[in-house]
Amino acid sequence: ECSDLKPPCPYILPCLHLSVGLSVCLQESSSQTTKGAKSARRKRLKPCSLREVEVTVGELGLGYDSDETLLFRYCSGRCTARRRRNYDIALEHTRRAGLIKKGRRDKVQYSPCCRPIAYEKDISFLDNNSRYHTVQEVLARECGCA
Amino acid sequence: MWIYFYFVLFLLDGVAYSSGGSYSGLAGTGAHGWVDCVRASDMCNQNPQCSSRYRVMRQCLVGRERDTMLANRECQAALEVLLVSPLYDCRCKRGMKKELQCLQSYWSIHMGLTEGREFYETSPYEPVMPVRHPDAFRLASIISGMHTVTPKANTCSDPSKTCNPCLDAAKACNLNNTCKKQRSTYIATCSKGEPCNRKRCHKALRQFLDRVPTDYSHQLLFCPCQDLGCAERRRQTIVPFCSFEDKVKPYCLELRKNCRQDPLCRSRLADFHMNCMVSQHTVSSCPNEDNYQACLASYAGLIGTDMTPNYVDGSFTNWTVSPWCTCKGSGNQEEECQSFLKDFTENMCLRNAIQAFGYGTDSLSHKAESVPSTSSMKPGLETSISTSEPLDNPNDVQPEDEANGKGNVPKWNLSKGYIGGDEPLLEPSSGYDGLTRPKGPPEDGSACVCASVWALLLSLTAAVANYAL
Repeated sequence: ECSDLKPPCPYILPCLHLSVGLSVCLQESSSQTTKGAKSARRKRLKPCSLREVEVTVGELGLGYDSDETLLFRYCSGRCTARRRRNYDIALEHTRRAGLIKKGRRDKVQYSPCCRPIAYEKDISFLDNNSRYHTVQEVLARECGCA
Repeated sequence: MWIYFYFVLFLLDGVAYSSGGSYSGLAGTGAHGWVDCVRASDMCNQNPQCSSRYRVMRQCLVGRERDTMLANRECQAALEVLLVSPLYDCRCKRGMKKELQCLQSYWSIHMGLTEGREFYETSPYEPVMPVRHPDAFRLASIISGMHTVTPKANTCSDPSKTCNPCLDAAKACNLNNTCKKQRSTYIATCSKGEPCNRKRCHKALRQFLDRVPTDYSHQLLFCPCQDLGCAERRRQTIVPFCSFEDKVKPYCLELRKNCRQDPLCRSRLADFHMNCMVSQHTVSSCPNEDNYQACLASYAGLIGTDMTPNYVDGSFTNWTVSPWCTCKGSGNQEEECQSFLKDFTENMCLRNAIQAFGYGTDSLSHKAESVPSTSSMKPGLETSISTSEPLDNPNDVQPEDEANGKGNVPKWNLSKGYIGGDEPLLEPSSGYDGLTRPKGPPEDGSACVCASVWALLLSLTAAVANYAL
């Protein structure tokens, strides 16, 4: 989920620390950047879309020991402000107005986030101990700003 | 004199063409020389006489032994009519639309001709064109005697890792959308449930092999291995736990009998025998002009049938492929059983074809289908036709059938003379047409060839006489 992220999704770089986990919106932009740099980066960012990288199943961090290579498809890119729905505007306003209490465990997202809206059904592979596995919803099939 | 000689050839050619049956003209098959059996049965149904006989024939075949069927006058008459119909010469294409229907039509005629008697049956599939890799063939045949093979260095994509061509094959498949999806589907189907659903698993495997380009599927099935991990992965390709192994190992002849009751399995088995038959007269030991692709494709065609073959263990130095069956304790049929099993386990053609795969076809650029029709396919067809039983005297019980069955390469040796290709008389187009005239079972065909030989001899003598004068 996007909700446990401090910065809104549009501002983060596509990052892929696969050994840590599967999350795409993982990296926090903790290093404080100036507004100018942020907008420059925003301009550089491509819109939300499907990307791919060649990895082995073992590198996916799902606990499988397999050297089989596959194409990991993930979602990355910018969700423009135009994609903001009334929901986002309303949420931001109520939050700013203090109607929604701020709490450490209660983080809200004012902007749409680039996430898979459909996954490939399943992917099967043979592990290094000659056993087959099938796992669901590992690869993104379609991306969208949700 | 040579001019004269070729003139005679030309004349013979013309004779052979014009003697082709009226149906073949009707078929309009062009260069292929065959109609698919779905079309052939449509054509038959348009002809009142043919369609009524066809109906009779199908009724004759329901639940009857061949001998009882042929004892029936009506059935016999129907068979005779159908022998000159387009149904007799028709063929099917692997993976065609209505493949099963086509095969059923094919066997509705041929079942009556050969039911359960032939050791090797005629393949209902159209012949696969050979792809020529002269160097690869030569290399393979030199090496074929040895069991340990060192594949080309470039079969390993990453030299820093341990070389595992089967892992590379899985990678190539995973990077292709169709292959990845179909592979995931059959693996998921075959590894689901305890016990798994074998029928569904077989179907998924067949679908995988039908829909995925052979470049990918053959790489997975025939990757050249130098270590245990690789060979084990190769053995696991078809999920043998579900698709191959079983609680009991049936007798091979029992398994063959079951296979022959299913039109698809029967066809694939006949195709395997036709394309992987050991031949002493070719460099590769394969029939059909050293056609490795055809042999590998028909081996792969058996996967997903009752006769599914696989590597018997994870051995990489001395690997063996076999269907899941045994000849132990098959009593007086032991010899026939062994010769059936040896077509898998000790088949030099198949072995060479699999071993050559690591050399000749390690790139993804070769397609068996991409070669245009050449005359080289035709000797193969003649071969197949000559294996069917003589048809003119269907009542003849043939005691030598048993003996033929036991012999290792029985009737196939008939074809050797044709394959040699140094016999200009049997220039494929004429020989083929002459041999497959609708009324033309083997005797007829050989009679035709004999006649041609005589004609040639006579004309040569005449020419020599002329020359001398």
